[in-house]
Amino acid sequence: MDYQALEEKYCGLAGQVVEKAAKKGVLAEAYINAGEELSIEVRNQEVEALTTAKDKGLGLRVISGNKLGFAYTTDFSSEAIDNCIEQAIANARLTTPDEHNCLPSKYPGYPQLDLFDPDIINTPIEKKIELTREIERQARAHDPRVKITESCSYNDSRYLIALANSQGIVTSYHGAFCGASTFVVAVENEESQTGFGMTYSLRFKDIDPAKIGKEGAAKAVRMLGAKSVDTQRAAVVFDPYVATNFLRVIASSLAADSVQKGKSLFRGRVNQKVAAPVINIVDDGQLKGGIASSPFDGEGVPTSRTVLVENGILKCYLHNTYTAARDGVTSTGNSSRGSFKTTPEVGTTNFYIEAGSMSSDEIIKDIKKGLYVTEVMGMHTANPISGDFSVGASGIWIENGEMTIPVRGVAIAGNIIELLESVDAVGSDLTFYGTVGAPTVRIASMTISG
Amino acid sequence: MLLSESDLKAILKAALEQGGDFAEIYIERRRTNGISCEDNKIERVNSGLDEGAGIRVIGGENTAYGYSNDLSLDSLIELASLVGKAIPNKNGAKEINFTRPKANVDFTIKKRPDEVPIEDKVNLVKKANDAARAVDERIVQVTVGYSDIIQEVTIANSEGTLVDDERVRCRFVVNAVASDGRHIQTGYESSGGQQGWELFESVNPEEKARLAARRAVMMLEAKPAPAGKMPVVMSAEAGGTMIHEACGHGLEADLVQKQLSVYANKKGQKVASELVTVIDDATIEGKYGSYRFDDEGTPGQKTVLIENGILKEYMYDYLTARKEGRRSTGNGRRESYQDRPIPRMTNTYIAPGKDNAEAILKETKRGLLVKRMGGGQVNTTNGDFVFDVAEGYLIEDGRIGPAVRGATLTGNGPEVLKKIDRVAGDLGFAIGTCGKDGQGVPVGDAQPTIRIPEMVVGGILDEEAKE
Repeated sequence: MDYQALEEKYCGLAGQVVEKAAKKGVLAEAYINAGEELSIEVRNQEVEALTTAKDKGLGLRVISGNKLGFAYTTDFSSEAIDNCIEQAIANARLTTPDEHNCLPSKYPGYPQLDLFDPDIINTPIEKKIELTREIERQARAHDPRVKITESCSYNDSRYLIALANSQGIVTSYHGAFCGASTFVVAVENEESQTGFGMTYSLRFKDIDPAKIGKEGAAKAVRMLGAKSVDTQRAAVVFDPYVATNFLRVIASSLAADSVQKGKSLFRGRVNQKVAAPVINIVDDGQLKGGIASSPFDGEGVPTSRTVLVENGILKCYLHNTYTAARDGVTSTGNSSRGSFKTTPEVGTTNFYIEAGSMSSDEIIKDIKKGLYVTEVMGMHTANPISGDFSVGASGIWIENGEMTIPVRGVAIAGNIIELLESVDAVGSDLTFYGTVGAPTVRIASMTISG
Repeated sequence: MLLSESDLKAILKAALEQGGDFAEIYIERRRTNGISCEDNKIERVNSGLDEGAGIRVIGGENTAYGYSNDLSLDSLIELASLVGKAIPNKNGAKEINFTRPKANVDFTIKKRPDEVPIEDKVNLVKKANDAARAVDERIVQVTVGYSDIIQEVTIANSEGTLVDDERVRCRFVVNAVASDGRHIQTGYESSGGQQGWELFESVNPEEKARLAARRAVMMLEAKPAPAGKMPVVMSAEAGGTMIHEACGHGLEADLVQKQLSVYANKKGQKVASELVTVIDDATIEGKYGSYRFDDEGTPGQKTVLIENGILKEYMYDYLTARKEGRRSTGNGRRESYQDRPIPRMTNTYIAPGKDNAEAILKETKRGLLVKRMGGGQVNTTNGDFVFDVAEGYLIEDGRIGPAVRGATLTGNGPEVLKKIDRVAGDLGFAIGTCGKDGQGVPVGDAQPTIRIPEMVVGGILDEEAKE
């Protein structure tokens, strides 16, 4: 697809839809998302599955007498578009009026970001298949006990966003990203353990098959022979991946809509201590190389870098146009859309805990006994409103500063605020898993149930 | 029907002319409505149309898939050729004669949701919101959601299967938040089914809303769950998350064939206590995971997976069945036209046994009573699973003791199934959206009251217990 040409075409369509709707006496905003996807799955060196896709859709938001309505369609025929407009306006009749419902006005300009690596498009599919095969070969070659490939895949996505509203915004951009991952199984004495490696990037050349394959293999092999430990309190270290799992849970609590609705742990806590002084949490919609970077957010507001927690002190929340109007502040450019099928809500972009100064070895060196957690299970059951969590965990036992035996089948539980407050070390190894990043994090003492 | 028979044949032929020995097209037209109420306001009324087609071509062990939401015949033929080309071996197109398989059940939708005025749906949501808020002054927020979906599908393949179907589902959820100024707790209830508006003949949304609100308030007073190993009694109303995680996923044939399941190569062997019979059944009228045909056009069926502790059967889709030269069990499902079908559960449950639920509690001196389960997860490779306890109580001297919060139960599937020592005659269903390979599909699960003599409860040790 010629994305430049398509941008123009869909800006035109979005503008027409807005104009048509506006003629019926409403404020309107049309958001179009179109793109292509490729995914390659390899097992035992065979291409087990290859998926190619093209899709598009339009989401229409209207405001009529302070009331919000929404409808979407994947059919761009004029009949379907007319239906969509009528449906959105009809839906607006039934919602509760809210004076803060509004659409952003035109901005003087947007940041220039480098989001489209031509290598992602120009690399022939055969080369991408070969890269995927190489991941599997690297994993198998790393250790003979790596015997089963659960999955080994490459995927990329090329997309464009076009947005127009009745306040004068007409804008668009296109981007692409790619990623590869593998989940492999190590087998020994009738015992099986899994491990994974993955990389997501805006640059095709960042996908290093050897790194991904070896990481998956090493993680699987080191869990062989894992046993439970007795229930006790001990130090707990989260590797960057596990730390991102916890960070994801608090994302919704830092969104202003959760705060305004009384559903946030952080309500009324601005300028208060919510975490240990070693913790800094940032959301950056313009982060160089960030998978979630974009010139503007889901309603056409420029993205920005927002420091949410600085030295353990909560500084502010994330806003879209609605929540900003309600709080009398400006939007942080965090209007987020799951897809064209949903209304813009408040969400994170590139969201991370800033790197500290200690290496992960230094973090472990001081621990008398503790658990280095490499996997948590059931994280989606953590309650983002109360902050309570209780998850299954596995990892490596630490004894006198040394990694010893693998551990599985234990549970760790607590409250996420208490957890953040009891962090006593943050590593220098900030790693992103998709749009969320974290370094190694240490908690002085936690209950481990076994 | 979303395309004519001759167009479907042309598309399948175009695919096979390029490669593969099996071609399939899945066309979907999905209309949805959703209403949400929060902050005492009807915040969102959304509706939409999503239509598209997915084309799959299989040749030997290779699968190629493509999808698009351009449903013009030219575009679909182009897509079919592209997908066919991705398969290395070529067998050529053969004559296709369509036959329509007969479903094992028929569901009647009494009142289609598109015939219900949207005002009525909004009213239902408002009433539930009011009911939840009236429960206690400590209820600080209530979110109520209603959604309905009418999904038309046409599924055709080169082996001659042709199915047109319409699936209608309604769903209702309520989430209540309670706060006493110090703590914040939540309560959640949901109902849904392969049903129209008649869902609300058997489900009272206001009663559900009160239940959720009462649970949120009660959890404010609950103490942290204990930590360590103890007997666990799971009441029938707790739902079926445990069985879904502890054995359901491990019995899906794709994981079994890839040796990614602890239940691989165990057909005919004892994998559970003889009190345990596990069934997957797509044919129960009105349940959330029910259907006439799966997403490959195979009729939904009832499959006994484990019978009196003996592993009898896995759940198959077309591709996994083909690898073993057998028939699919009608478990090939996909989230939408954007996804390849894979083996999935429908309504999965432990069959009722002979024990008495009250007696089970009475004879358990101490332990944890699970009244409602939350979500869960399993590592099918080693069988370890967890699930969240949304409502739990300590059992003290055979009686229900104080409520506890924040508990997670951790176990190993085969170990826990072998230990189950009581199975009562009751049965309670719950609904959920099951995620696998990034695809969410509606499922039901259920179990009677059961007892597991020992499970790991992930709670918090008292500070005094600190070493």
